[in-house]
Amino acid sequence: MKKVSCQHHWTMTNLRGGHLVIEGCFHCRQRISFFSQEPVPPIDDYQEGEHFWSHLADYQASQFDLKCEKCSAEVPLKEIMALMLCVRCNRECGVYAACAQKKNQKTWVYAALCADTSHAAKKCIPPASLLALNEYFNQGIEDPTKKIVVVPCNLRKSVDTCQGIVLADVGLTELY
Amino acid sequence: MKVSELIQKTGLKAFNEGTDKEIKGIYISDMVSDIIGIKEGHLLITLQTHKNLIAAANLVDVAAIVFSRNKIPADDVVALADKAGIKLLGFEGDTWSLAKKLCEIGSW
Repeated sequence: MKKVSCQHHWTMTNLRGGHLVIEGCFHCRQRISFFSQEPVPPIDDYQEGEHFWSHLADYQASQFDLKCEKCSAEVPLKEIMALMLCVRCNRECGVYAACAQKKNQKTWVYAALCADTSHAAKKCIPPASLLALNEYFNQGIEDPTKKIVVVPCNLRKSVDTCQGIVLADVGLTELY
Repeated sequence: MKVSELIQKTGLKAFNEGTDKEIKGIYISDMVSDIIGIKEGHLLITLQTHKNLIAAANLVDVAAIVFSRNKIPADDVVALADKAGIKLLGFEGDTWSLAKKLCEIGSW
């Protein structure tokens, strides 16, 4: 008997606020990030094996999981540190390539940022997470010409020159 | 109610053209990390004029954005909103006053 697959309708669950913390190793120049739910993000320097991690920046951000309203399937998204809008700054970037515009369609590409910014472990966001995110952000769009594409951050050509807009809270002091 | 009708009834100032979308609800927040959880078609009321707010608003497909307390978005913010087809509006008073005004003109 053929298994009927669910046409998922995702909803956001387990929305949790916290901080996106970015650290750098002055020894090997690698960069990592992590999501901290502490009220005050950690800023201490520490040694971890050969790495000497220093705090570079932190931003107020949020994480969430996805749950299907029809079949209750859940997709935890704990690997995703933040989402970043591609501004098409570099034609040689893999994320730029994902922005390829079809006729009569406006495609917006967001990179899902993982913790291993330097991708030293050669891993990135799992495909199942990306699939669910793509389904989630497109399911409610009524404009047939608009499309959201979420891609893994390891497609980025350069972390240092990337001008993408990270969806995190910055410039809060400018509110006043 | 469409955004154009909202402007007629409230006198909100428009910073750009934008797409005339149907408003399905209202959401008030100044934090990008909070906005990312809202449903599509909402009118977003905020003090935050940073560009990443537009990036988040585009992702969750807002109907339009209203900046309260006479906050004015910078040119690059308006340019990004133009690309996204998001209408940017302005209100001179505080967020609470705008919320009361919106309650008077419609059920959201």
